Amino acid sequence: MSEGIISITPAFARVWKRNAQVYLTLWKFNIFPALAEPVLFIFVFGLGIGSYIDEMEGVPYLDFVAPGILAIAAIMQATFECTYGSYFRMRMQNTFEGIISTPISAGEVGMAEIVWGATRGLVTSSLVLLLMVAIGVFDSWTTLLLPLITFLAAFNFAAIGIIVTSRIAQMEYFHFYFAGFVLPAQFLCGTFFPVSRFPDAVQVIAWIIPLTSFVDIMRSLTLDRVSASLAPELLWALGSTLVLTEIAVRSMHRRLVE
Amino acid sequence: MIVEAKSLHKRFRDVVAVESLDFQVQAGECYGLVGPNGAGKTTTMKMVYCLNRPTSGELRVFGLDVNREQRRIKARLGVVPQENNLDPDLSTCRNLQVYARYFGMAKQESLEKCRELLEFMELGDRAGSPIPALSGGMKRRLVIARALVNSPDLLILDEPTTGLDPQVRHLIWDRLLDLKEHGITLILTTHYMEEAQKLCDRVMIMDRSRAVDEGSPVRLIRQHVSPYVLELRADRSLAADIQARFRGLEHQTSGQNLYFYGDSPSEFDDLLSTYPDMERLLRPSSLEDVFLKLTGREIRR
Ligand SMILES: Nc1ncnc2c1ncn2[C@@H]1O[C@H](COP(=O)(O)OP(=O)(O)OP(=O)(O)O)[C@@H](O)[C@H]1O
Ligand SMILES: [Mg+2]
Repeated sequence: MSEGIISITPAFARVWKRNAQVYLTLWKFNIFPALAEPVLFIFVFGLGIGSYIDEMEGVPYLDFVAPGILAIAAIMQATFECTYGSYFRMRMQNTFEGIISTPISAGEVGMAEIVWGATRGLVTSSLVLLLMVAIGVFDSWTTLLLPLITFLAAFNFAAIGIIVTSRIAQMEYFHFYFAGFVLPAQFLCGTFFPVSRFPDAVQVIAWIIPLTSFVDIMRSLTLDRVSASLAPELLWALGSTLVLTEIAVRSMHRRLVE
Repeated sequence: MIVEAKSLHKRFRDVVAVESLDFQVQAGECYGLVGPNGAGKTTTMKMVYCLNRPTSGELRVFGLDVNREQRRIKARLGVVPQENNLDPDLSTCRNLQVYARYFGMAKQESLEKCRELLEFMELGDRAGSPIPALSGGMKRRLVIARALVNSPDLLILDEPTTGLDPQVRHLIWDRLLDLKEHGITLILTTHYMEEAQKLCDRVMIMDRSRAVDEGSPVRLIRQHVSPYVLELRADRSLAADIQARFRGLEHQTSGQNLYFYGDSPSEFDDLLSTYPDMERLLRPSSLEDVFLKLTGREIRR
């Protein structure tokens, strides 16, 4: 029997619902703290530092940095949910063991966690988006497409999170993951300034991390610069998400069914 | 046949947990697994409920292969794991409802089932309690209730009564016998031989990842130990003295305890009149004596 994405049935949604149910009972604790970082970014970078920068790539700095902040909000929320959140459910609470003693498979638990992480990323980033629209950052109709991309970006990082979570022996390894990957990715991936400022080698690394593609796609949408040259980026964004999800689902299966 | 295992093996990297296990569980019976810590009981059960994969051998549950039909098998199982794994983020009743949803049950149906099961396990007044507010015995009863949400054909219980007070233990025994009367097959592990003797139609004694013997408690007792046991407490020199004098009686020592075995209480008359003041207990032999005889008295590492 296959253990990858292909074996996933819609039953995974029942686990997603479990997470949503818990989230809704604790929404106050979940929503506001998650907004602190993106709001701070808007003030510090967009309005603060931005007031010293005339233009970046031909637009006001706030317009430039807004998609980056949005993407970071999405991936950070998904990352926290699928690292500490999932690990807690898996190891401290043994919730997953209980779930896979029912017809739900271990792969479906992995999938549910990823989709849930992506959902949380979507919720947080959408609230940030509303805030940005309210202060007049975006005016193009293409803004409506942003949640789709933030959801995908969150999905991508949720999958990476589950890969890490299902492979580590103790929670402390997350320190390496955050310091070595998540934090650098937040700043390297064209979020606050163009990737082209880096030496070639760093640029290659930056483009390998799918976040760079997500941010660039989002920025093209908000600045109305959509063109065919985005195709490879879109392909990488979708392709890497698919591959990472497949790895994550298999990895979770191996972790839970020994 | 509910469960059928043929030369079942399970290895975790370099640890052999289960070796050459053959057993069958019939519909409607209560089948017990007993054995010292680390004997392989939990691993055996986890293979039955598809959380551990057999390294080799054949294992069929409801006639279905555990390597291929996990979903269909698990749909008909109830599982009480060794460690409670209730969902601490959900209340008592919600725990059951969310669990019922994993089986695909509709909301209304699961609400009714949840009420019925909380009553059955005498938790009716605790429906709204958060999990951390429940006592150990309540949590255990809730885990058992949860294992019943899908009306399973086979209920697997890994040490259901460990650490519980006598009242709760008796309640759980009652309920399990109830379930058995309704035709549910039970597989149970326990470290209480009294429990195994009371509940199980057949028992498999495991030690060091293998089956040592299997049969009804009555048969195991009759085959392996004499019907009566005399327990004495004696220090080393006294023990040596007794052993020297009553060489003819079958006996065993364990720490400060001496165990003499006999076919009738009168066989101990001489011994008891020689040492009239000694602390003693004369009793019929039990599954515990069989257990200790077959698995030895030393602690497992
Ligand atoms: N996930 C695992 N990884 C490595 N070794 C394991 C794993 N699970 C069990 N073992 C080993 O397999 C052996 C059997 O363990 P098991 O838990 O089945 O014993 P048990 O009979 O249930 O013991 P207890 O009465 O203490 O619950 C032990 O040596 C144990 O250390
Ligand atoms: Mg065990």
